Amino acid sequence: MNILAVAEHREGKVVAATYELVAKGRDLVAASGGKLQVALLGKGVGGLAAEIASRGVEVLHVEDDALAAYTAGGYAQALTALRGTTDPRLVLLPHTTQGYDLAPRLAAEWEAPVVANCVDLALDGSSLVATRKILNDKLSVELEVRSEHPYVVTLRVGSVKPAAVGAAPGPVTPTPVSIDASKNGRVFHGIEKPQVQDIDISAADIVVSAGRGIGKKENLKLVEDLAKALGGVVGASRPLTDMEWLPRTRQVGQSGKTVRPKLYIACGVSGAMQHVAGMKDSGLILAVNTDPSAPIFEVAHVGVVANVLEFIPALLKELKGG
Amino acid sequence: MPLNVVVCLKQIPNPDLQFQVSADGKDIKRETLTYKVNGADEYALEEAVRLKEKHGGRVTALTAGPKRTEQMLREAMAKGADAAVRVAYDDPAALDPYQVARILAAAIGKRPFDLVLAGVQSDDYVYSATGGLLAGFLKVPHASVVTKVEVQDGGLKAWRELEGGDQEVVSLARPALLTVQFGINVPRYAPLPAIMKASRQPIEELRPADLGKASWEEFRGPYTLTVRRVAPPTAKGRAEMVPGKTADQAKSVAQLLRDKGFYRG
Repeated sequence: MNILAVAEHREGKVVAATYELVAKGRDLVAASGGKLQVALLGKGVGGLAAEIASRGVEVLHVEDDALAAYTAGGYAQALTALRGTTDPRLVLLPHTTQGYDLAPRLAAEWEAPVVANCVDLALDGSSLVATRKILNDKLSVELEVRSEHPYVVTLRVGSVKPAAVGAAPGPVTPTPVSIDASKNGRVFHGIEKPQVQDIDISAADIVVSAGRGIGKKENLKLVEDLAKALGGVVGASRPLTDMEWLPRTRQVGQSGKTVRPKLYIACGVSGAMQHVAGMKDSGLILAVNTDPSAPIFEVAHVGVVANVLEFIPALLKELKGG
Repeated sequence: MPLNVVVCLKQIPNPDLQFQVSADGKDIKRETLTYKVNGADEYALEEAVRLKEKHGGRVTALTAGPKRTEQMLREAMAKGADAAVRVAYDDPAALDPYQVARILAAAIGKRPFDLVLAGVQSDDYVYSATGGLLAGFLKVPHASVVTKVEVQDGGLKAWRELEGGDQEVVSLARPALLTVQFGINVPRYAPLPAIMKASRQPIEELRPADLGKASWEEFRGPYTLTVRRVAPPTAKGRAEMVPGKTADQAKSVAQLLRDKGFYRG
């Protein structure tokens, strides 16, 4: 069963999730036979092709002016051309803002099943068995899909260990395709960087994060008090920065900052995938939440089932009185 | 340039609930669930209404779901949608985004539109696939994870959120589809008179025959999809839980923080 993994790159760098696809794809072809290839689409990306190939995998290197920036339409055209020559049964993409922009569009154009945000994959004969997490990661679903068309799958970032540099690099195969830029569907104008005028929470040794569980903006004071007592900084989950209780610079997660402090305290944070992606590698993770089934307890080392508004004052009292 | 906007809404089980697996192990127990409008869709609705207020036009709220979703559509009208359409696809699980997107595409394709908005993801199944599928079926350009929109001559300018807080700026021709990110705006509350008025407004109902098919089955993709099992996730590293009442827990955690050198008071 041939597998085509779609490399992601941004501003001249390979996005690390690409190597997670390589690792997963390699496991799957080892079990089922077939060939793993990585499609690298872009303009002036020869250096990246060599870098990906160094992980011991074949790279189909597609160069085209119309691929200078990512667009769903441009990538879909290139992948449709590659589909004709490589006959993949499975197309793998990372579940990133680019991956889930592209995957469903490609699936609609190919009349192919799309299974997005998978945490595990297996092949069972000609069927795909995909494991996904649903309902705030509280449950796991195993789906079986059987299709004559390729399976279009996105893999949740961090689900597998990325492939390391291999003993022998794979070949880089220049693969010209013809792309009509007028069918790209959208025009890329540029990337805007966030304006930073705040402390950098990713530099702190201790981060105390507030989530929806704190209930009201006034209760942020408690979280600030705890951070102050420990000499740490205040972070937040996305809903709080969306409500503008704290600036965007404090947001921990996929769309915000990735932090790896020595101590991370999650106060009333449920632990949605996008938040966990930004803090799971912290040294010691302490989570406080009223809901014992909250997914934050899957990633935390120490868990406290309690109302954070009662717990923090009690903790501060213990610390200061002790 | 008045805009004809369709906003796709989904009613989902409140994700803050605790869930149980059904007896056959292939779904969740649904008898005791409470439902709410999907979080990102609330932002999509608000954005649709703001675009209408700025540029003129019309907002149609669209859903595919059972009768209970009428409540959500009425709320949408109370918040500024001009009309509501319920596709009477009443599979409570609705597990396949491909099938749902095809149904929605058929419903949207029945009338002219300039813009389709949908939430970036649904918080129950978290595929982030419906918008892209829908754009593919409608054959219109799309952009996902949008945090800002500007209407331009014949097109749109959109800011897409990327990882790490970067924004990608793109432009698209209309008609187009955008999936809307959390935080793009601050959704409004419905004023009481509007809620009263919306309770009396009609909701258009579409059945397969209205979309040219004999059954919802005919909207399935050319593949089979089956649930093998639903289960609590196999915990890889479950936290060590601190026992006791809050005061006892606080004592234990204070001790831990001292032992690890995080507090030197």
